[in-house]
Amino acid sequence: MASIHQRDLLLTGFVWSAAALVIGSFLWLLSDMLLQGAGQLSWDFLTAETENAGRAGGIAPVLVSTLLILAVAILVAGPIGLATAVLLSEFIAKDNRIARAIGMSIDVLAGVPSIVFGLFGMAFFSAYLGLGFSILAGGLTLACMVLPILIRTIEEGLSAVPDEWRKGAAVLGMSRLSALFYILLPAAAPALAAGLMLGIGRAMAETAALIFTSGYVDRMPSSLHDSGRALAVHIYDLSMNVAGGDANAYASALVLVIMLIIINNIALMLANSLLQKRISLA
Amino acid sequence: MKFTALLKKAGMLLPAVAILFQINTVQAAEKLVLTGASTIAPLAAEIGKRFEKQNPDVRVDVQTGGSSRGVSDARSGLADIGMASRKLKAEESDLKSFTIALDGVGLILHKDNPVKSLTDQQVIDIYTGKITNWKDVGGKDARITVVNKAEGRSTLELFLNYYKLKNSDIKPQVVIGDNQQGIKTVAGNTGAIGYVSIGTAEFDAGNGVPIKLLPLNGIAASVENVRNGSFPLSRPLNLVTKTAPQGLAKRFIEFASSKNVDDLVEAQYFVPLSRK
Repeated sequence: MASIHQRDLLLTGFVWSAAALVIGSFLWLLSDMLLQGAGQLSWDFLTAETENAGRAGGIAPVLVSTLLILAVAILVAGPIGLATAVLLSEFIAKDNRIARAIGMSIDVLAGVPSIVFGLFGMAFFSAYLGLGFSILAGGLTLACMVLPILIRTIEEGLSAVPDEWRKGAAVLGMSRLSALFYILLPAAAPALAAGLMLGIGRAMAETAALIFTSGYVDRMPSSLHDSGRALAVHIYDLSMNVAGGDANAYASALVLVIMLIIINNIALMLANSLLQKRISLA
Repeated sequence: MKFTALLKKAGMLLPAVAILFQINTVQAAEKLVLTGASTIAPLAAEIGKRFEKQNPDVRVDVQTGGSSRGVSDARSGLADIGMASRKLKAEESDLKSFTIALDGVGLILHKDNPVKSLTDQQVIDIYTGKITNWKDVGGKDARITVVNKAEGRSTLELFLNYYKLKNSDIKPQVVIGDNQQGIKTVAGNTGAIGYVSIGTAEFDAGNGVPIKLLPLNGIAASVENVRNGSFPLSRPLNLVTKTAPQGLAKRFIEFASSKNVDDLVEAQYFVPLSRK
């Protein structure tokens, strides 16, 4: 029989090796991309048009399309997601029938494969609403996809705020609205940032939902009604469909990861500074 | 009050949002939409870019999705021109097709596989699961990994048609979509057999990817043999329209099948048409 000490040691070892595995696989991925892609990466690569099906030239139009698609998705999903989360956690009881119906539809939506969102987006936004292959159609499709993650994380953040705070606000005569803006949302700021980051992460990495909605065109978009190729679609096409596109696929993947890190940090900073400043003032 | 201040701040964001939705600048005068075969899409996009340079107020939007989609989009009018990397079928004879380039389909093995050639019957037996070990066809004692194409891919149809097989007869271990995916699968598995576009495979094999092309009935699977028509397993890359093309579509199709794009065709590892 192993002594208690030995069992503790085993557990410690297991926990540390699991953590090492996680960090190790991330570093492996990153170093592979750096090794294969860093050589291609330059200012020109970011600012030039694509050439020869993406084998040569840069990714400027793809980058712009990606950011526009992301902006549409977040601008649409953000307010709707926040409002739904507030409704679920602040305005109706957890065991309410409507709350359960909404909760269930969110959970089902969260589990739907992205290609299904892609087909829905193509049928609804592109065909039925007549948006065609466009950045708008792609962004709206992504918004639908990101909503469940956004709602669930924000809702959890709000639920974690102790009830005493709500009671305290009521005792002080604060309206429900000011309590929400000055106490509850600031307290849930980390969850808001986390939800935003998860949503952006999922949106940026999306290929299947975008290839049939925002499309394949790698020209610089001049409006949201233009078709625009997202970075993930570009990487997929270069690595799976274009012979000799691997080098630029790696470089594009590297750009995607760097963009993700930058945007995530901005989301984190915004949430922390804007909302936590207010809580210290109050 | 602080809350109104917050509202004002939010209000300041509105113009930014408005600008984002307002960049609907002038639309191009004429737009041509192409959808279909992922094999043709990169080529069509490059031809489109050159066509746009010569015709500044024209836009050519190329979308992908497979030959079947190209045909159905051309028929439904969703696309002005469909792209199909195969001949039109009998039930599609109401459509018009225009060949812009050729492509051969070749069997590929891992470079370290000692097998030099396979007879048609051996290929059929391998793909139907009757032969499952390389030692039965003169190779090492190793399991064969059969790589097949996904439904709707014209390479699959061409392959089935040549070997007179039905897709349900095939017992694949791996099902893949695009050419590069097929090459990567075979390059990563010494026991794999697959079939992909010859131009792509020839380029990759020449650039150190560990694959080799098998000859077919003694005819080498090479770009040269596809061009001169001696390689039996080849296919045309077609542009498809619902009715006889007119106006912009006609001009684009003429441009895409002219000598002006031969260099683009070769850059995508396809075979330009031989013109007299």
